[in-house]
Parts: sequence; structure tokens; C-alpha cells
Amino acid sequence: MRASLFITCYNDTLFPETGRAVVSLLERLGVEVEFRAGQTCCGQMHANTGFRGEAFSQAKRLVRLYADADAVVIPSSSCVAMMRDQYPGLFEELGNDSLRKDFAALLPRVYELSEFLIDKLGVEDVGAYFPHRVTYHASCHGLRALHLGDRPFRLLAKVRGLELAPLANLDRCCGFGGTFSVKNGDVSSAMLTVKLEDVLATGAEFCTALDNSCLMHLGGAMHREYAPMKTIHMAQILASTQEHPAEVVG
Amino acid sequence: MSAATDHPVLDPALAPPFPMAALPVLRNVQLRKNVAHAIDVIQTKRARLVEEKTDWHALRTAAAAIKDETLANLGAYLEQFEERCTAAGGHVHWAADAAEARRIILELLREEGADEVIKIKTMTSAEIQLNPFLEAAGVRAYETDLAEIILQLGHGEPSHIVVPALHVNRSQVRDIFARTMGLKDLTDDPKALTAAARNYLRQKFLDVPTAISGANFLVAETGGVVVVESEGNGRMCLTLPKTLITLAGIEKVVPRFADLEVMLQLLARSATGERMNPYTSLWTGVTKGDGPQNFHVVLLDNGRSSILARKTERQTLRCIRCAACMNTCPVYRQTGGHAYGSVYPGPIGAILTPQLEQLRHAQSLPFASSLCGACYEVCPVKINIPEILIDLRARVTDQERHTVGKFFDPMYVGLRAANVIFSRAWLFHFAQWAGRIGAKLVTRRDGWIHSLPSVGAKWTQTRDLRGLPKQTFHAWWAERKAASQQVGGSASQRVGDAASDPTLSPKSGEKGGATSREAR
Amino acid sequence: MSAVADSRKKVLEAVNMATGAATGAGTAGSATRNAAATAGKAAEVPAEIPRGYVRRGDMTASARHERFVERLREYDAEVVECEPEGLAAAIAAQLAASGRRTFVAPEGLPAAWLAPGFDWKIDGNLEVRDVEQAEGVVTACFCGVADSGTIVLHHGPAEGRRVITLLPDWHLCIVRASQVVETLPEYFDRCAIRDQRSETRDQGAEKLPALVTWISGPSATADIEMTRIKGVHGPRFLNVILVRD
Repeated sequence: MRASLFITCYNDTLFPETGRAVVSLLERLGVEVEFRAGQTCCGQMHANTGFRGEAFSQAKRLVRLYADADAVVIPSSSCVAMMRDQYPGLFEELGNDSLRKDFAALLPRVYELSEFLIDKLGVEDVGAYFPHRVTYHASCHGLRALHLGDRPFRLLAKVRGLELAPLANLDRCCGFGGTFSVKNGDVSSAMLTVKLEDVLATGAEFCTALDNSCLMHLGGAMHREYAPMKTIHMAQILASTQEHPAEVVG
Repeated sequence: MSAATDHPVLDPALAPPFPMAALPVLRNVQLRKNVAHAIDVIQTKRARLVEEKTDWHALRTAAAAIKDETLANLGAYLEQFEERCTAAGGHVHWAADAAEARRIILELLREEGADEVIKIKTMTSAEIQLNPFLEAAGVRAYETDLAEIILQLGHGEPSHIVVPALHVNRSQVRDIFARTMGLKDLTDDPKALTAAARNYLRQKFLDVPTAISGANFLVAETGGVVVVESEGNGRMCLTLPKTLITLAGIEKVVPRFADLEVMLQLLARSATGERMNPYTSLWTGVTKGDGPQNFHVVLLDNGRSSILARKTERQTLRCIRCAACMNTCPVYRQTGGHAYGSVYPGPIGAILTPQLEQLRHAQSLPFASSLCGACYEVCPVKINIPEILIDLRARVTDQERHTVGKFFDPMYVGLRAANVIFSRAWLFHFAQWAGRIGAKLVTRRDGWIHSLPSVGAKWTQTRDLRGLPKQTFHAWWAERKAASQQVGGSASQRVGDAASDPTLSPKSGEKGGATSREAR
Repeated sequence: MSAVADSRKKVLEAVNMATGAATGAGTAGSATRNAAATAGKAAEVPAEIPRGYVRRGDMTASARHERFVERLREYDAEVVECEPEGLAAAIAAQLAASGRRTFVAPEGLPAAWLAPGFDWKIDGNLEVRDVEQAEGVVTACFCGVADSGTIVLHHGPAEGRRVITLLPDWHLCIVRASQVVETLPEYFDRCAIRDQRSETRDQGAEKLPALVTWISGPSATADIEMTRIKGVHGPRFLNVILVRD
């Protein structure tokens, strides 16, 4: 089984440990991981801020880059959602027949990480060990755009030593929203405060999610406020074993 | 209502942009509490009823289809409604915009010699700013909905389309009523307040011969008009006066009487968390001996036809004004309605208002969302609000990106630059390297950034940012690949462990738990 | 009034252009002809509305009636049941228990329902002032919907003008069990079959009601801090007798 990793622009730059964990995890499960050096960004930031032409040029690049990949695994729900929800419209409006064909052929082969593990590899127990109290934050794209459902929970349930603390108001947005976090920084911060109340109330040591975007936002406030909690991408939890415990950064 | 929010501006042409308008509201703790309480109540009730309704999603599908069919044939259905309503003794008027609608209504009132009119709550009349216009022309309009009375007497503005005074708490209502109704001993018990309103209006209902209403639905097949309400003031205004004027947006049409079986099952559950609201009234033209004998409908365009013309945006007009979207919106929860600078706030306001204004105003509203999608999930007519928000963002950006003001705006400059950077891997890698250098200047010893300039300042106002790691993922991968090739191993060799990997710096080989490594 | 015709033309042109429909907006005078033509066209458009929602309920009659009563009571309506023979007595008992004396009744209300010992005002076009002064009203209804505890009035002879069920503070409604359906779509099915007021309208093939009031409990508001308060305008007290016919 081969999988091509699309690390995402922000993970590459800010959260390389998440990428390392994905590689470690997949290889442990017998997947041959490849990484195409030409990758940059899926175009989501531009699309969501109204720069449609620019978003398309990035989308075009991405589709061309992965045209012949067996499977593309992405540790970021929002980037997968971008491809599923917005790429069709972009390619319809701005693309040509050849590009539309390539895109249509590629899309079924694109997986968010938990989808790849459960749907493609058919595993829930990835042999992970992470003896900590953890709460799971359901990022909006994963929840509503990808309909991940209970996949993350099924994976976490099989992590040895992990104690899952349920998060109240699970379906409430953390307030990140991409450029919304600065264009509407005050509202974003108000939403963050309210969300953080629920997260901290779990008494967990770690808050995890399938998107570092939300975690960057939550974790940034945790650090600012000296909160007794850290954030960690679920890939790092799943990659964690007794012999090789998870990298926790920050 | 605090000083900062005493006079919210709900005219999109004059209202401040959303980020600015939201700021004073975010500092109004009382208002945020009121809003959160109100929407929690409705949401909880709604959720329970939706869970109980096993065909909920089938109803939504049918409703969306009914509305789409209507919109695709709107001209024909409007004409059919006009024909049937007229045959039943009603008069149908057409208004291309707000000014025309106001003029038509005033003329009708002048024909009656009316200097007073009683009103059923209709956001459409607020949309066309009817009351101040009538006031200036010497016609006093009396609101009869409890929420609208609270706002009218307290000189406030609506902040929600179903519960317009949800931002006002009971003691604030008490103060307003005590002052304006001369009831010094009035308590703040909602029962007493409601009784005060009941007494205040009773005589008005019996005496004022002219009423203005909105419409929830216009039935093309029969010419019938439907008004959905809870208090009974609607029924009062619809049956007691001699003259009734109904103002309705052209998108309120449904094709058949029986289509109401879908709409009425969705509306109350979505709007107030009830299986059915206390009173729903349907009347058709004029009925001899029962109700107003002089009945007029004013059909309002005011930008709706421009929405109709657009493929992605047309679904905006499916809206049945239930407010479920704003009840579930995490942004609205924090800001309430006034920050949107429009009589239509929340997610529906964010897409409807800019479009009614033909994108001349309210351009900040499509950005007043984190795109979480909760609104789409609850919308009874399945309006894909996030999709429309994104499309409106593109249209607004296209409009303004070449203006001098925006061309040099840091966010625009940054996004254009980012696009160039993303176009080539080597440019991206170079930018990452440059970013790391630059970040060093603002990274503190704990490895985090506490303060950023320009656009970034909005981030670091409330959040820290982890410093940029010394090595990007792609660089790590490249090193690993090079190392494995040196070692002579194949790609399938297990060299990916954080612990055993020589290309990784500091160690993390302790057993039994996660290890910490500070960001470099 | 050419200004009026201009607006109509302007709006319809804008609408039709937006939908790609042929512009059929003629002068106001030809509205009927145009509307009929376009209405026919609209009706022809195969409306593939996916109606996968529940049309007919599957409750037994007794379960349906129980549900109806339960839902009415949830809205604070007072409900009693009786056999057909006991209806007149049940009405008398309700009236007596109300502590009220003056009641409005629609012209077509069965004489047997006008319990003696009370002050009856029969509504043959009563003055609003007289209706306002009555303490209660008694009517029949067209239909009851169990799912939402809704009573539907078509304002036929035994239900009366809309004002008589609006101004008095106390409304007693007689519902026959055979009038109770489970779902709202079932009520709409009944409309298509028969209707009490349609004889007075000269419309096309459809005999649908011109006036309908759907009542689902006494008037209420939650506008103040979401606290539900009963009885703002409209009857504060809704009493129902369900006749097991």
C-alpha cells in the first residue's frame, strides 16, 4: 500500500512533528509513504478570503502534482474539505476539460488521516500508547464537511493508556476560521474564550484534534494564559508507542 | 441597553463594518448573557423536537425543492397569486424598491385618511424603514408584537428576526414600560409586563381601522396569505380593522395550498422550538362579513430579483425567516444582532443584506463568519450558507482589490505575495527560511512569539504563536531520504521513528509517556 | 395608473430575466389572461418535489386521540372526553365550571349545544363591542391534528367569524374524534376533499378554504427572557371536548 503525504503549507512550516508522526504511524502500519517535494498549498486561505483566481492556480498545481498518486493522505480536515467542497466549483468555472478530468480522477483517492486509517486500511487499533488524559476537539470541517463521525473516537478508544475526557458543546466552533482569526480578531477571541472554558473544564492534560489550525488557536491561548494543558495533533498520539513516545512540542 | 449599544445603526448604508460594530457589543457582558440564554432555550427545544421528528430531513429536502421550483418559475407564480388574490377581492401592488413600497403604502393610508396604523411584526417593513417614513408623513405606526413594543417604546433596534428583543432583559423591559406607560409600581415579573402590554394595546386593536402586516407565505394557487404568530396580536390586526395592507417580499410565494403542509411543519420547530406556534392565520382576498373589506398586498422586489439571477446565490431566497441559523451561530452568540448593522442579522443577514444592497454596502458581512457550517446544518430549507459566504467574499474582493485603498492593504499585499510564494516549491522554501529568520526577532526565550506587527497583531492580542521550528517537514524528509540512501537501505526500512532517527535533534527516548521538547 | 403598471412590468421583467422565463408581463388589464396562461405553464412544469416525508400516520384511532389530548394538554389546554350522547351535558359542565355567564355562539352551532342557564349571544353579525364583552365562545371545528395538538377552524357556520374566537377570553371547542387526523399532511388531504366555505367562492377546480385559523394552544409569548407567558392577546383559556364518535 502506497500513500503520498500532502503535509499542508502550515504543517510543513509550523508543525513538522505532525508530519513526522504521520510518517512514523503509516510506516508502522506497513504503508510505503512518499512525499512529493513540489507541494506547497491547497489554496484554502485564498479561496476563503475571496481570492478565487489565486486559489485556483494553487488547486491546479496540486491536482497536477498528484495526478498519478495511489492515495493522498492529508493530516488536515480543512484542506480535504477544500478539495471536496470548493475544488469542483473552481475547476468548473476556471478549469478546462483536461484539468476537470484529472481532478475527478484524483478526488476519490484523497483521504483525511482518520479516513485513511479506518476506511482504507481498515484499522482502528494502530498499536498506540499514550498514557494521558486527553480531550478531543472536533474541528468544524472534520465534523460537518467531511462527516468524520465517530472515526476519531474509534481510533482514540484503542490507544492504550489514554483516558478520554468528553468535551462539552463539542460541535461549537473554536473561532479560528482561517483569516477570520485576524480579520475579526476580537470576535474570534471571544469565541476562543468561551471554547477554552469547555476545554479546560475537562481537566485533561492534552487537547487533541485532527487539525493543527484549531490547535494553534486553542494552544496559543493556553500558552498565553499559562493554562495547565497542551495541544497535540492526533497523529502524534497515534504514532506514540511505549518504545517511542510522542513528540510533544511547546 | 448600555451606552455603547444604545443606538445601534441598522441601516447597511450607514452601519460600521462588522469588526468595528462588534467591539462594543463584546464588552457588553449583560447583552452577551441575554443572547446566550435566549438562544440556548430555543436551541434546546428545537433539538429535542428535531430528534423526535423522524422525517425531519425528508421535510427539509421537500421544502428546498418546493422553494427552488417556486424560484425557478417565480414570475408565473407571482402572476398566478396576483390573479387569484384579485379575483377574491384583494388588490395587488408591485414595488421595485423600498422607496416605491413606502410610497404605495403611504398613498393607501392617505386614501383611508389614516393618521394611525397598527402593525404586526414584519421584518420586511423594517427593511424598507417604513415606520420613520410614516412618522415623518404624519402617520403614527403602533407596533403590536410584545418585542416590537419593547423596542418601539424603548427606542431600541431589533437584534433577531424572530425574538427581536432577546437582547433586553426583564428589568430593562420594566424600566421602559414603567416610563412610557406611566406604571410606577410595575414589577419585572414577565407576567406583569405582558399584562401591561395587553392592556396597553387592547383599545388600539378595537379602535384603529387600518393595519399593516407582513406575510410568511403567499399561496399562488389560491391567492391566500399566511401569517404565523404566537401572541394573537396578528389575529387582532388581521380581523378587526377595515383596511389591511400586507407587505411581502416576492420570495414568499409557495405554489400550492398543500405545500404548506411541509413549510408549517418546519417553521415553528425551527423558529421557536414548538411543534406548532399558537396561531397561524390564512385569508384569501376579502371575505364578506369577516375581517377587513379593503385588502391590499404590496409585493416587494428591492434587490431580490438580482439574487434570483445568480446560480449560487438564488438559494438565499428559499429563506423562511425562522432564525435557526442565528440561534446556532457561534459568532452571533458572542455579538448579538446589532453588530451586523442590518435588520437581518446572523448567517442569513450576512448573505441577504449585502445582496439586497447589491454589494454596495455591508461588504464586511460575508466575512463575519468562521465558516463553521452550523447554520447550513439547521437550515430547514437547506440553504448552503457557507458556500454563499465564500462566493460573496470573492465578489466583494473582486470589487475592491484594485482600489487604491485595498491594493496596499497589508492583508491584500500578503495574500498576493503568498500566492506567488505558493506557486513554486523553491519560493515557498525560501519564504519559510526568510520567515524563520524574521521570526527569530520576535521569538522569546520560551520559544514562543508574543507579539506580531500589522495583521499579525490581531492574533497576538490574545494568543501566543509557537516559534517557527528550525527544520521544516520537507527538509526533514529530504534529510531522511538522503540518510537512508547513504545507509543503503530501501525506503521501506523503518527509519521513521522519532527516537532512533539521527536526523532529529534532541532526544526523546524516555519510556512511558510523552516527552517534551521545547520549540527552537 | 401607469406608474403602477410600470412597477409591475419592471419587477416581472427583472424576475423573468433572472429566471430565463419568457417575458409575459403585459398590461395590468391582461393580467388575468396572462396569469392563466402562465399559471397553466407553471402547473405543467413537472415539479419533481421529493415528498419522502410522512404523509399518513400509522397510529390506531385510540392512540391518535390519546396523542391529540396529550399534545393539547402540553399547551395548557383543558381537555375532557365524552360519548356523543353525553355531549350536551359535557358542554353544560364546562360552561358551569368556567364561572362565566355570557357566551358567543356561531349561527350554525347545533341548538342542543346551547346549554340553558347562560347568556347566549348568537353571532349573526354582532357588534364587535358585544363580542368583546362576552366572557367566552363555543364553536365546532374543521379538523384536529394530533401530532401538534392543533385545532383547525375553517370558519364555517358552526365555527363562526374569526373575531368570535379571538376577542373572548375563553374558548370551548368541540372536536369529534372522527375529525382528528394524525399528521398535518392528512389535514391538507381533507381540505381537498371537502370544505365548508368553498361554496361561497367562484374559483377553479380546487375547493380550498378561503379562511383558516390553526390554533395550537392559547396565545403565548416568550419575548421577555424566553419565559413563556400565556395569554397575551386572544383567548387565554382553551378548553376542548373530544367526542368519541
